[in-house]
Amino acid sequence: MKSVLPIGFGVALLAVWEAAIRAFDVPVYIMPGPLAIAGALGANFGDLMAGLWITLEVTAAALALAATSGAAFAVLLVQSRRLESTLFPYAVILQVTPIVTIAPFVIIWVEDIMAVLLILAWMAAVFPVLSNTLLGLKAADPNLRDLFRLYGATRAQTTLRLLVPSALPYFLGGLRISGGLALIGTVVAEMVAGTSGTRSGLASRLVEASYRLELPLAFACFVLLSAAGVAIYVGLDALSRRILRKWQDGSVA
Amino acid sequence: MNTSSPPIVSVERLTHHYDTGLTALSGIELDIAPGSFVSLVGPSGCGKSTLLRVIADLIGPSEGRVTRTVDSRRGELGFVFQDPTLMPWATVRDNVALPLSLRGSATEAANDALVRVGLGEFGGSYPRELSGGMRMRASLARAIATNPKLLLMDEPFAALDEFTRFKLNDDLLALWQANRWTVVFVTHSIREAVFLSQRVIVMTPRPGRIVADIDVGLPFPRPPELRLSHAFADECARVSAALSGSQAGAAA
Ligand SMILES: Nc1ncnc2c1ncn2[C@@H]1O[C@H](COP(=O)(O)OP(=O)(O)O)[C@@H](O)[C@H]1O
Ligand SMILES: [Mg+2]
Repeated sequence: MKSVLPIGFGVALLAVWEAAIRAFDVPVYIMPGPLAIAGALGANFGDLMAGLWITLEVTAAALALAATSGAAFAVLLVQSRRLESTLFPYAVILQVTPIVTIAPFVIIWVEDIMAVLLILAWMAAVFPVLSNTLLGLKAADPNLRDLFRLYGATRAQTTLRLLVPSALPYFLGGLRISGGLALIGTVVAEMVAGTSGTRSGLASRLVEASYRLELPLAFACFVLLSAAGVAIYVGLDALSRRILRKWQDGSVA
Repeated sequence: MNTSSPPIVSVERLTHHYDTGLTALSGIELDIAPGSFVSLVGPSGCGKSTLLRVIADLIGPSEGRVTRTVDSRRGELGFVFQDPTLMPWATVRDNVALPLSLRGSATEAANDALVRVGLGEFGGSYPRELSGGMRMRASLARAIATNPKLLLMDEPFAALDEFTRFKLNDDLLALWQANRWTVVFVTHSIREAVFLSQRVIVMTPRPGRIVADIDVGLPFPRPPELRLSHAFADECARVSAALSGSQAGAAA
């Protein structure tokens, strides 16, 4: 079994961690051991799940928005080289700007805190879908392009029946990256926007718990968030494998 | 050959330069008679593909003129590439039906084309499920699905093993004799050109030009055993001599 080694390593690491915490008598508000974290997770399970749900809701909505808008924008850009060279640099600027620096403005301009989170997470997630899809649209087999031209295909036919299917594996590759970024974007947005009360996501609970020096609880939030990140990646990976089963060799057509 | 009907393709004083400054074709004069099977042979890089693409109007000539009596938008022209060039996301039937469905015509003819190339059973398969030879058959089926007047084939069987290539040559000849499309067939194999064609055009590179135009003196139908005959060997030798003679001339 391929998973025995990494799992064994993880368990050993946790054991060393717990043993070290006990041996050196590290106070829990500095660094909790795995057992204390598991205890906090169990004691606050319902609450934490509610927070996780809110974070995942925003993540999923941002990812869906990034996927549709990124793909649609790529299809638009590929229609004209001039359009692409005019607009693509702005997509790059959006990508390289750290979203934390935009967050304060968005918070001022947008009243609804959920909308703020959604906008920031979308900004973090949209670029990989956009750039990958654009790459895929342009990677269509040149001989097939010639064939479409030969048979007098319209621009819409060439786009829908050749370019879009050619781009699908690239789009799915971008989506896998964007999934993780949507979660990161949501988490950063929650931390900056500082939601509170019952409708607060897991990341803002993490921040609150750390302010109160409840480190086991903060760590429990952290564990759930990274598990969510892994789950999103694995889920999107499985989805893309499933969709691409009909493709030649799974990755790129 | 019927020389009285006007040519289906007429190439006059054609020269083609690529953007790189390379002259791929120079001073090409060529008339293709309707219903004929013509091969273009020559070493790699002598401009065979370029000439075929100019004939198909996929690229415009830099100088000279190409006139054709076929309209590719009406499905009167079929093109077969060296690679099968199938859409991996579509079934074999949908691939073959492409030229029909793009024009909004009925796609039943695709099934008929599949039967004609011996893939009647495989319409529902995906390209990755077929062997290399079968993919090439599917590619041929797509090109003939519209019942074209002119079939342009660019080294279609070059990547196949010899057995598969012979079988496809035999089947292509049978189809041509039954349908009498005009075929322009590019190959770098002298034997393949001689076996298939009524006429072999020999080209040489730098710049690509025509150095010989040979009528093949072998009757049709051409059974597979023809490949073992002296007459076949003699015809191959004629083409070979034209090719090497021109290269010796160029080197001198
Ligand atoms: N798109 C292109 N741009 C620049 N040069 C090209 C292009 N296509 C082909 N060539 C060059 O033109 C010459 C003829 O090419 P080609 O027609 O493909 O020859 P063949 O099919 O006989 O091998 C070659 O030297 C090739 O490198
Ligand atoms: Mg070629």
